[in-house]
Amino acid sequence: MNYFQLFNIEVSFDVDLQQLSSNYQTLQKTVHPDKFAHASEQEQRIAVQKSAHINDAYQTLKNPLQRAQYILVQRGVEMPNEQHSFQDTSFLMRQMELREMLEDVRHSGDVDAALLEVQSVLSTEYLALSQIMRTQLSENNAASNSAACDNLRKLKFYQKLNVEVDRLEDSLLDD
Amino acid sequence: MAYSEKVLDHYENPRNVGSMDKNDPSVATGMVGAPACGDVMKLQLKISDDGIIEDAKFKTYGCGSAIASSSLVTEWVKGKSIEEAGKIKNTAIAEELALPPVKIHCSILAEDAIKAAIEDYKSKQSK
Repeated sequence: MNYFQLFNIEVSFDVDLQQLSSNYQTLQKTVHPDKFAHASEQEQRIAVQKSAHINDAYQTLKNPLQRAQYILVQRGVEMPNEQHSFQDTSFLMRQMELREMLEDVRHSGDVDAALLEVQSVLSTEYLALSQIMRTQLSENNAASNSAACDNLRKLKFYQKLNVEVDRLEDSLLDD
Repeated sequence: MAYSEKVLDHYENPRNVGSMDKNDPSVATGMVGAPACGDVMKLQLKISDDGIIEDAKFKTYGCGSAIASSSLVTEWVKGKSIEEAGKIKNTAIAEELALPPVKIHCSILAEDAIKAAIEDYKSKQSK
């Protein structure tokens, strides 16, 4: 049973997060330790394993990039080795610029405005790329799956940038 | 996780940080990234007419090991021919910096950056 079947939802990149969350909670209740308080040790162990499995499934489907990756893996698309470096020069140049932009925020005259600007640029570019990937995933043929895989790798760079933005925001609050 | 002394040294005093004009025909630019951790590395080499690397600069956004790997590589490639530089292996970088297994990909990134720069130089030369 795949993760989508587990939550009884359609296999698609478009997931209704509210429905996912409510199905998750319903499912977790069925394996809650309280229910197994008087069960055998073996039954308790199985319930704990099921609960962990449900949790893994939920975390995977909740996160858009992990969900995309899961769909691609389920389709048998071979994911490039994570150790394999990425060499799209123009894309990486842009990533460098975005990181420089983020670095300059701290030294900007109006830090709040500069931070907002970076966040808006990042979310625009992320959204555009993620829309393309969404279309590619729905086309579901060899070429589109491979292109989706490529865009998924690009989106991971944005994901990392967003972590950096959050970190910067936190450190600005501390100052 | 504790960094080795050599990593810390390069991290705190990175060698040859900076940029060169990527449109200069004698400048080779290698851009590589690691999707898993979001690291981005730019290595630039200034190459003489007889194929010797006269200068090297890098700019890396990433963890300490990625910065140290690229910093070390700029030191190593200077004065080498592009053929010699192309033979630098990630294992040598990892060994020099005593990188733990989880950081081996940083040294792979640095090796790939040299290769990407050499590719860029060759494609510039053939134009």
